[in-house]
Amino acid sequence: MNKESSQRTAFIIFRILGIIVVSILLWILGFIIYNGMGVISWEFLTAAPAEGMTAGGIFPAIVGTLCLVAGSMIFAFPVGVMSAIYTNEYAGNGWIVKFIRVMTNNLGSIPSIVFGLFGMSLFVNTLGFGDSILAGSLTLGLLALPIVIRTTEEALKAVPSSYRTGSRALGASKLQTISRVILPAAFPNITTGLILSIGRVSGETAPILFTVAAYFLPKLPTGIFDQVMALPYHLYVIATSGTDIEASRPVAYGTALVLIAIVLLMNLLAAFLRRHFSNKWRAER
Amino acid sequence: MKHTEREMQSLREEVRQMWKQVLSQLEKAKQSFLNNDVELALEIISREKRVDAFELKIDSDCENYIALYSPVAVDLRLVLSLIKISSTLERIGDFAAGIARHVIDDGCNKAETVLIEELQIEKMFDTLTGMLSDGFVALESENTRISGKILAKDAEVDEIYNNAIDVLTNCLTANPASIRYGLKLLLVIRKLERIGDHCSNIIEEIVFYVDAKVLKHNGRKGDENRIVD
Amino acid sequence: MIEAKNIDFYYGSFHALKNISMTMEAHTVTAFIGPSGCGKSTFLRLFNRMNDLIDGIRLTGECLVQGANIYGKSVQVDELRKTVGMVFQKPNPFPKSIFENVAYGLRVNNLGDKKFIAQQVEESLIAAALWDEVKDKLKKSAFELSGGQQQRLCIARALAVSPAVLLMDEPASALDPISTSKIEELIHQLKKDYTIVIVTHNMQQAARVSDKTGFFMLGELVEFSETKKMFLNPEKKQTQNYITGRFG
Repeated sequence: MNKESSQRTAFIIFRILGIIVVSILLWILGFIIYNGMGVISWEFLTAAPAEGMTAGGIFPAIVGTLCLVAGSMIFAFPVGVMSAIYTNEYAGNGWIVKFIRVMTNNLGSIPSIVFGLFGMSLFVNTLGFGDSILAGSLTLGLLALPIVIRTTEEALKAVPSSYRTGSRALGASKLQTISRVILPAAFPNITTGLILSIGRVSGETAPILFTVAAYFLPKLPTGIFDQVMALPYHLYVIATSGTDIEASRPVAYGTALVLIAIVLLMNLLAAFLRRHFSNKWRAER
Repeated sequence: MKHTEREMQSLREEVRQMWKQVLSQLEKAKQSFLNNDVELALEIISREKRVDAFELKIDSDCENYIALYSPVAVDLRLVLSLIKISSTLERIGDFAAGIARHVIDDGCNKAETVLIEELQIEKMFDTLTGMLSDGFVALESENTRISGKILAKDAEVDEIYNNAIDVLTNCLTANPASIRYGLKLLLVIRKLERIGDHCSNIIEEIVFYVDAKVLKHNGRKGDENRIVD
Repeated sequence: MIEAKNIDFYYGSFHALKNISMTMEAHTVTAFIGPSGCGKSTFLRLFNRMNDLIDGIRLTGECLVQGANIYGKSVQVDELRKTVGMVFQKPNPFPKSIFENVAYGLRVNNLGDKKFIAQQVEESLIAAALWDEVKDKLKKSAFELSGGQQQRLCIARALAVSPAVLLMDEPASALDPISTSKIEELIHQLKKDYTIVIVTHNMQQAARVSDKTGFFMLGELVEFSETKKMFLNPEKKQTQNYITGRFG
């Protein structure tokens, strides 16, 4: 086969595969929207579940998920960003850093149920937080940590080293260099890490199973030691072990749709932020 | 060899050709003057144009070399000295042709052998061709050790020139009839003396090129001790 | 003004600079030339201790700037870098506005109030021959400038903290000829207020801008003399071979 036709064939294969992937995605999305759209109403979004979770709304679950996402990010984001700064900017390239990197990557590939069990034994029992937003947020935060660290490290690596030398040559200290030049320059890419981890966290069921999620709790939390409902767990419950699985099926589709919409919205928001910041001081590349 | 070096070689080759040409012009001028050979004199005059053409060619090649290769250090010194050497050689060629014109002109053909000998004109010619060919060797070998010897020869030429005035005064006082002839002769001797100065200039350029020393205007009696950086 | 005494410098076991001594007078331009990897940039970076950022270096000998040993125990490196500014090979403005780029050195060193900073930024941009081109867009990103303008911005940035010495590491090698000649012209003007040391690969540039030139090879200072002398009649055969292109 000559160069031209082999190239054409390759491109055709790539294009077909791409179209297949996208259409599967669209099909799933369409399926959920088609089935879930019917139950979406103002009441569905703002009321508590009723009649054995076959009617009413999912408001407590929405609030619960938002609380957990926020809580886990409050924990994972600063810790992750700071440890990435440490490994990338301060620690040099010794065996300790290499070890930390390997462990971080391993942490990322641990099944989420293990996080759930770990969170239960450490936060719920040993530290005595009980089933609470705090315990759930910390567990989810642990889950998100490797993603935040990895993406932040990549973001810091992408900052040209000429910024560092340029800043140091002007008499700036290392910390000044990081806070005034490196972090602002890496910010758009760090935001990407944040989005990815939010997506991951808001969809997880296993880690919250033993640490926070309530089977049915039609009221809003009042503090960080309260239990909450969460969208993924609620979905799991009404799809597998509800009082009347057949009757609650439309509610399940509606819940799935809301969950997807929340993740999508957060993605859009982050993409907007990212574009806003990178447009302001358009990078060289 | 790099292409810049090849350019430089061809530039040097042109100067070498011009040098040989001028040297042969000078030798022919001697022959034609001493033998009153008008034929040869005419030949010298006709060849004068070729010397001029060499100068133009070398000038423009040197300009190009500087413009294109921005020479520095020894290369820069060589190009600069080649420019000056070629224009000096051209002047020497002019003088040779000037002497040839004297031969053609009526005045000189009744040469009195005794007077010519007394004026040491032949020795002057020989010293000058010696200077010129020594200079050629110095450039070729990039060796300036003989520069002192060459500059000393210029002093000899100057001495002959200075003597010539006395000799001519004596002779012409005795023979007022040949005053015109005598004056013409003096002009020839004067030209030869100038050729000597030009030969000195050439060797000074070669010293500048090889040793980066400036000899000019430092008293040119060939005294090496007076050579200053 | 700047003095190096018997400098030996090692990257790990690599002997990068071998027993180098030289003196640079105030208000002169000194150029370093030499083949890649000859140590000229390493030597330049000694004077604002930029080599400190690299692991596994070792230095013996003395390095004096304005009479003080800059490798002395009591020396504050960040203070030193205010006195000895640096411009790099590739223009490296920060992803900030033009104004903030120039103000950066002042801000990190807590120099002056808002008014002083504004005035200093303007003066630095004027000194770097950039003011007229940017005075109406100080709040725009530095990346909107052309490469040559960016490099002059970096020079202004270095000037803003009022250094005495300006080190330039091949400041024009990434620029087009017109920008290059602007930088060279600027070097000529800055000479009266600053002591300038420039590393360059372009020998003609060294010849055009500098008063004295040092030729480095394999970590040694082969020759250090007046630029005029260097380019008309270098003392060492090695220098001659290098500057006339007969190297190697």
